[in-house]
Amino acid sequence: MRLTSHKRVRGPLDLPMTSMIDVVFLLLIFFMTTTSVVRTERELDSGIQVQKQSAGKKASDWEPAIVDVLPAGGTFVFRVGGREVVTADELIEILRPFPNKADGAFVRVHDDVPFDLPAAAIQACKTAGFTAVSYVPFTASR
Amino acid sequence: MRLAKGKKSGSLLMNMTPMIDVVFLLLIFFMTVSQVSQINRLRLELPKQSGTLDQGQAAMTINVGEDGQIFVGGDATSMAGLVEAVFEQLAAANNDPQRLAVVIRADRRSASRTVNQVVVALSKLGIQRVRVAVEAP
Repeated sequence: MRLTSHKRVRGPLDLPMTSMIDVVFLLLIFFMTTTSVVRTERELDSGIQVQKQSAGKKASDWEPAIVDVLPAGGTFVFRVGGREVVTADELIEILRPFPNKADGAFVRVHDDVPFDLPAAAIQACKTAGFTAVSYVPFTASR
Repeated sequence: MRLAKGKKSGSLLMNMTPMIDVVFLLLIFFMTVSQVSQINRLRLELPKQSGTLDQGQAAMTINVGEDGQIFVGGDATSMAGLVEAVFEQLAAANNDPQRLAVVIRADRRSASRTVNQVVVALSKLGIQRVRVAVEAP
């Protein structure tokens, strides 16, 4: 059996390098900037409450949800009523059964706690279903 | 008088490829630079939370550094300076605190003392709502 013997003689392959380098540089710049610089920033909507809650008009018969963020025994805790928890997940579990979600929640923040914790408490209140969350500086509420 | 007749030139060939390349490079450069200047007014370790709102336009952004230092518009300032800056922004918003959107960007490691003081100062000026900046995990 004879196999086809014609082979076309091809000339040297010309690759246009200029446009390829352009595209590579564009992709390089794009990925460098998007990965290292742009960090997704979001926001937590929060009210400000400086006066004591009791001074305001009572919206319902239920006690409002008040989350204290304060130092306790060398660490920092979230306190709701008489219960103290350390993690945001535990806080969500406590807040979820609250019936008066429409009345909002109050996050009272002690001066010495790192700001990470009040933000976590506000997020936990929102996750638990509270429509409005107020930030209350602990120093002002005393 | 006879004026010199110009020679008829052939069709002008413009090489568009490098021009498009340069235009795209400039476009990407300015897009990223403007985005960066908007987001990172100050490099802070923000609390890592999912948040409830997308980042919106703010009339005023108050940055609180890890050591509790307040920054407004990229400059370090005192509490008195902050109050003055808020007054200016309020005047620009026709003295209507409802129209002044304030965002607090505080470092997650900083003590809440400064943020508490800022909140008390804002409340005294009639501002009842703030947005707290967080970083999506």
